[in-house]
Amino acid sequence: MKKKIGVYVCHCGGNISDHVDIEKVKAAVRDEADVYLVKNTLFACADSSQKEIGSDIENEHLDAIVVASCSPKLHLNTFRGVAQRAGLNPYNYVQVNIREQSSWAHSDNKTGATEKAILLVKAGIAKAKESEALQSLKIPAANVVAVIGAGVGGMKTAIGLADMGTEVYLIEKDFFVGGRTPQWGTVSPNGDEGAILTEKLYKEVVRRPNITLFTGAELVEKSGSIGNFDLKIALRPRFVSGNPSTEAMQRAAEACPVAVKDDFNFGLTNRRAFMLPAQGQFPQVPAIDQSACTRCGECTAACHEVDLTQEVQTITLHVGAFVVNTGFDPYQPAQGEYGYGELDNVITLPQFRRLMEMNESELVFNGKKIKKIAYIYCVGSRQDDDEGNTYCSRYCCTATSLTAVLAKKKFGNIINFHFNRGIRTYGKHELVYEAASKQGDIFLQFSLKSIPQIEKRGNKTYVKVKDILTAGKELETEADLIVLVTGMVPRKNELLAQQLKIPTGRDHFFNEIHMKLRPVETVIDGVLIAGTCQSPKNILETVNSSMAAAAKINSVLTKGELSLEPTLAKVNPAACDWCDNCSKACPFDAILQTEINGKKVARVNESNCKGCGMCTPVCPTDAIDLAGYTNAQVESMIDALAEA
Amino acid sequence: MEIQQETCINESLYDVLVIGAGIAGEESALKLADMGYRVLLVEKEPSIGGKMILLSKVFPTLDCAACITTPKVSETARHPNITILTLTEVEEIVRDTKNRFSVTLKKKPRYVVEKDCTGCQECEKACPAIVNDQFQFNLTARKAVYIPFTIANPRVALIDIDNCLLCGACEKACPSNCIDFTQKEEQLKITAKSVIVSTGFKLFDPIQIERYGFGRYKNVITSMQMERQLAPTRPFNNILRPSDGKVPDKIAYVFCAGSRDHTVGNPICSQVCCMYSTKQAQLLMGALPMADVSLYYINIRAFGKGFDEFYEQAKDMGAKYVKGKIASITEKENGNLILRYEDIATGKVTEKEHDLVVLSVGILANPGITRVFKKERLETDALNYIRQTDLLQSPAITSIEGVFAAGTATAPMDIPDTIMSAGAAATETSSYLARLS
Amino acid sequence: MPKILVFSTEKISDPAIDLAGLLKKHYPYTVYTISVPCSSCIKPRWIMHAYEKGFDGVFIAADGSDCSYGESCSDRTAEVVATTHRLMKEKGLKPSQLKMAAICSVCAEPFVKHITSFMKDLSQKEN
Ligand SMILES: Cc1cc2nc3c(=O)[nH]c(=O)nc-3n(C[C@H](O)[C@H](O)[C@H](O)COP(=O)(O)OP(=O)(O)OC[C@H]3O[C@@H](n4cnc5c(N)ncnc54)[C@H](O)[C@@H]3O)c2cc1C
Ligand SMILES: Cc1cc2nc3c(=O)[nH]c(=O)nc-3n(C[C@H](O)[C@H](O)[C@H](O)COP(=O)(O)OP(=O)(O)OC[C@H]3O[C@@H](n4cnc5c(N)ncnc54)[C@H](O)[C@@H]3O)c2cc1C
Ligand code: SF4
Ligand code: SF4
Ligand code: SF4
Ligand code: SF4
Repeated sequence: MKKKIGVYVCHCGGNISDHVDIEKVKAAVRDEADVYLVKNTLFACADSSQKEIGSDIENEHLDAIVVASCSPKLHLNTFRGVAQRAGLNPYNYVQVNIREQSSWAHSDNKTGATEKAILLVKAGIAKAKESEALQSLKIPAANVVAVIGAGVGGMKTAIGLADMGTEVYLIEKDFFVGGRTPQWGTVSPNGDEGAILTEKLYKEVVRRPNITLFTGAELVEKSGSIGNFDLKIALRPRFVSGNPSTEAMQRAAEACPVAVKDDFNFGLTNRRAFMLPAQGQFPQVPAIDQSACTRCGECTAACHEVDLTQEVQTITLHVGAFVVNTGFDPYQPAQGEYGYGELDNVITLPQFRRLMEMNESELVFNGKKIKKIAYIYCVGSRQDDDEGNTYCSRYCCTATSLTAVLAKKKFGNIINFHFNRGIRTYGKHELVYEAASKQGDIFLQFSLKSIPQIEKRGNKTYVKVKDILTAGKELETEADLIVLVTGMVPRKNELLAQQLKIPTGRDHFFNEIHMKLRPVETVIDGVLIAGTCQSPKNILETVNSSMAAAAKINSVLTKGELSLEPTLAKVNPAACDWCDNCSKACPFDAILQTEINGKKVARVNESNCKGCGMCTPVCPTDAIDLAGYTNAQVESMIDALAEA
Repeated sequence: MEIQQETCINESLYDVLVIGAGIAGEESALKLADMGYRVLLVEKEPSIGGKMILLSKVFPTLDCAACITTPKVSETARHPNITILTLTEVEEIVRDTKNRFSVTLKKKPRYVVEKDCTGCQECEKACPAIVNDQFQFNLTARKAVYIPFTIANPRVALIDIDNCLLCGACEKACPSNCIDFTQKEEQLKITAKSVIVSTGFKLFDPIQIERYGFGRYKNVITSMQMERQLAPTRPFNNILRPSDGKVPDKIAYVFCAGSRDHTVGNPICSQVCCMYSTKQAQLLMGALPMADVSLYYINIRAFGKGFDEFYEQAKDMGAKYVKGKIASITEKENGNLILRYEDIATGKVTEKEHDLVVLSVGILANPGITRVFKKERLETDALNYIRQTDLLQSPAITSIEGVFAAGTATAPMDIPDTIMSAGAAATETSSYLARLS
Repeated sequence: MPKILVFSTEKISDPAIDLAGLLKKHYPYTVYTISVPCSSCIKPRWIMHAYEKGFDGVFIAADGSDCSYGESCSDRTAEVVATTHRLMKEKGLKPSQLKMAAICSVCAEPFVKHITSFMKDLSQKEN
């Protein structure tokens, strides 16, 4: 039992004191047994307040402290640190949340909020009284990271980690690395070529001995926790071994009789089941698409490296953490959305970019020369709540302005009409928009309430809109090609999400733990997210987030050990009769049988225990408890809260 | 004691010198310090935290900025591998050997013994000299001896010697005897293996746009001044307009003030002002439920995670977004302001009266630091931001080997983008240091 | 007004309750929260203790399928509720005085809805 407790009640500038009467709270708890001092602070988290709490602990020899302030999610570690530095065990610190759960939740009722705050603080004091000093455990951690996905993001994560001394397994599902970037040709903001960028990155990846690249690879099983994860990776067969010559590759592809839609060109062209790498995809080694291949064997004659006997291999790896870089998919318009799939001259922006790459000097689609292009923005983005994606896809206003500039530059006689919902070329991208305006592009703006109408009359296509920029005037233009500016959606990745248990947001992208200050971490320790799987981003932003994830996880693993939370299960051997209930309940195999003085009892394997407490309610003799959540602690808190 | 500390600094060799202790500098410093590198963090202001610590809440989460940034600030201040020098500027950086920079620092006197000051503010009470408070963006006044703001770190007084009357009142008032008028500017020399430039951004000064009347009309203020009025460490306990202390009820926002405007030499978009104005509008509608908030915009750049939803939420709450460029602002006798603009929705030139106008001022580059690099040139881009020489592959790399850039020193950006850019700079720096050894 | 004790979980449902506060989504102030690592660690005796001390209702803001400790959480929590229901019957308490719902980490709105309707049920029963 603690006998000298210090209690600090924070105003949080006014966030708390505007709705909770701090003086009343102080007065109500001042006379609680074992409370030695009660103080208020303007900002408990400010350095000066921290110093004050620290010197109180030292000078007054406090044996426990309670800070009533904001949510422990913000400052639990801050004040545990204060305690520790002042020589008090951090687990003798209790944080009481009177902001999110009192002053803000009940800002409509000052008396109620104050009354609740008083009882919450009393419960905190009760918990502190029963608190015990706990020592955290150190475990060895592997300075090895599995990077999932090898687009620009994943490759940058891998290179960054490798250069800082972390060993990397780079795991790419596709047979080629590079992700989406090589599909676009010239990219903003500096006019680099996407394919050249991925080529440079691939060369950097293979040059580093501490990066192992797996292609055609997928995570199928995971166990363990931060510092020590065990994984199973399934490697799909490539059916090609070694490095065939370019001619052999070409011959084999020509020999292959099976044609399927080419994803790289978003279905504008066909490819063979015998797949050749595109420019910017690596390694430049072919692969056979198992789902399309009929095993006819035609390619084997043309290319000796083909080996149709290969099978799926499963390998196991041991890593300390994951960085997930699984990227995005372009939004797929619904059948009939702006005529998509129904009119033969409606395509998406990604398709149009491929079309531009495939056309040399003349822009031709379906045999027809293209002069007038209508871009319809925000397709699959900024929709109504009940309709679909409410978010803005960030990249597309800039990408479309750039596309229009590139199209005019490459094919000359082009007229671009931009049907947009307010151009969002933020930051330096403004210059791309300016360039498009300067070359004479026409910008028309619509709202969600009155979207552009597409009509085919004869063999001509017309786009009609109520243009906001000209006071809602109805305007119509003819267009040879309609380009739907499709947004970004996360790639479908059920297996991965299920294995790693990363939460997703309402937008279906992976969710970070704190949007402002911890944008690459998730609630799962040791699982980080970077690039476009977290939210839409351009290449620069993808690279920044990937390198930030590298910095974060390297700083955690670089010491080769981690300290664990000491809130673990604890068995009271005197009460335990080894019924096996707890070991069956534990999802982490953390309970073993042991013998004490000839009696069979349960024992907790501390490095496996995660502190979930699932084992505690199932014990018939109440012999197992979770540190920090003992009966005495929880019940004395209930007693305090029940006070009338 | 004092001298010992000084020689210790003089002789020091640091792995990294981080210039500027805003959120970018803090994040880079923390990541590198966690990896085990020794970091010297230099800040020209008396307290660390940059602009973020002065903000009200942050879009789009509406977290209180002070509450989420103070843990970062204290973590930085306490980290055993980080040394912080406030009131310090870099004078010169020269490469002395192949992989070392020799750095000259100028530490301005505080006139208060930092380690002895308890922050009791007795000196402030005693001081008779009153001047504008730059940390409240001149909304209120402070004394010549002062603590920058409540949550300043370090929370230690300093004397603004230019405005000090040298009356000695503070010296008598200070219970811990820490006022020291004999302090002198110090020159420090250190060596660093690498440098991170995280000197942040400057705010556009709207006095340049005469037709907005800023500086002439009292009730035309900047968004940063509004941030301060809405912050938990706010100067007043309410939103007041400057001319007569009245609570405003018809507030106007003028977007793109000093951005997307060739006439002021800043053609680009500032990336954050649409969203911070939207945030302020929501906070104002919460604080003043009867107030009418109109926002005059060109385009709304609500592009990031959760932004468009946040913008829609503001509209649902009653914020009036008006598409139209402000042609001029004129003042009425009662201090109210007439905004003249072309209303795009109707195509007509329209006038509207407001009792407070907030200019959503833009972000500008802060390239002053480039001058301290001697022998080698730290290049800037056409917009004066630090040039990122390998933009898409290694965004933190600059024109000088071993010198990296983080945060808004490279482009306008919000807090999460700044954090990520700072993380990237940490990875780049750590990789560079690993290559050296 | 009836008094409700809420058991929330540190990583999942407690953040949602925080979020409700942050968004100033008001709910009755006689709702008190104790947060634990996982809803499957709540002991029936704690719940019984709460009734004994005068709480009218207990609400378990469960992790549901979001639990970071694994899938067995839901079943285990359901077992806790079943055992408690048995104990409640012995003491003559109505099963409706114990409620459980999965509250995800951003479920601020659902939390407030659950709690206000629970509060309403409890006060109707009292009259
Ligand atoms: C039409 C268009 C034009 C664009 N133009 C530009 C531009 O001009 N400038 C610019 O900066 N940006 C541009 N972008 C954005 C740019 O494409 C993205 O920022 C970039 O591709 C994101 O990289 P990433 O690594 O996050 O994702 P991706 O490129 O999508 O790569 C993700 C990788 O992860 C792999 N993967 C997915 N799931 C798994 C799994 N379960 N296991 C293993 N591997 C997996 C994928 O196969 C892929 O290789 C454009 C985007 C589009 C749609
Ligand atoms: C009115 C307003 C509201 C905003 N609201 C939000 C919001 O709600 N959400 C959001 O995400 N973002 C917001 N922002 C943007 C946010 O402020 C920036 O993203 C962030 O502050 C950038 O951090 P930084 O460290 O790069 O720069 P800064 O904050 O500018 O920090 C730079 C630091 O370097 C120091 N320094 C400069 N030169 C030198 C030198 N030569 N020597 C030593 N030190 C030097 C400065 O004193 C400063 O401390 C807002 C911006 C404004 C203007
Ligand atoms: S970036 Fe532009 S096109 Fe893309 S969703 Fe946002 S507003 Fe629409
Ligand atoms: S607390 Fe959880 S992990 Fe630990 S022994 Fe009990 S059931 Fe297993
Ligand atoms: S200088 Fe002296 S009087 Fe002023 S705040 Fe510091 S300790 Fe107090
Ligand atoms: S963010 Fe908005 S207000 Fe700021 S410059 Fe860009 S468009 Fe203008």
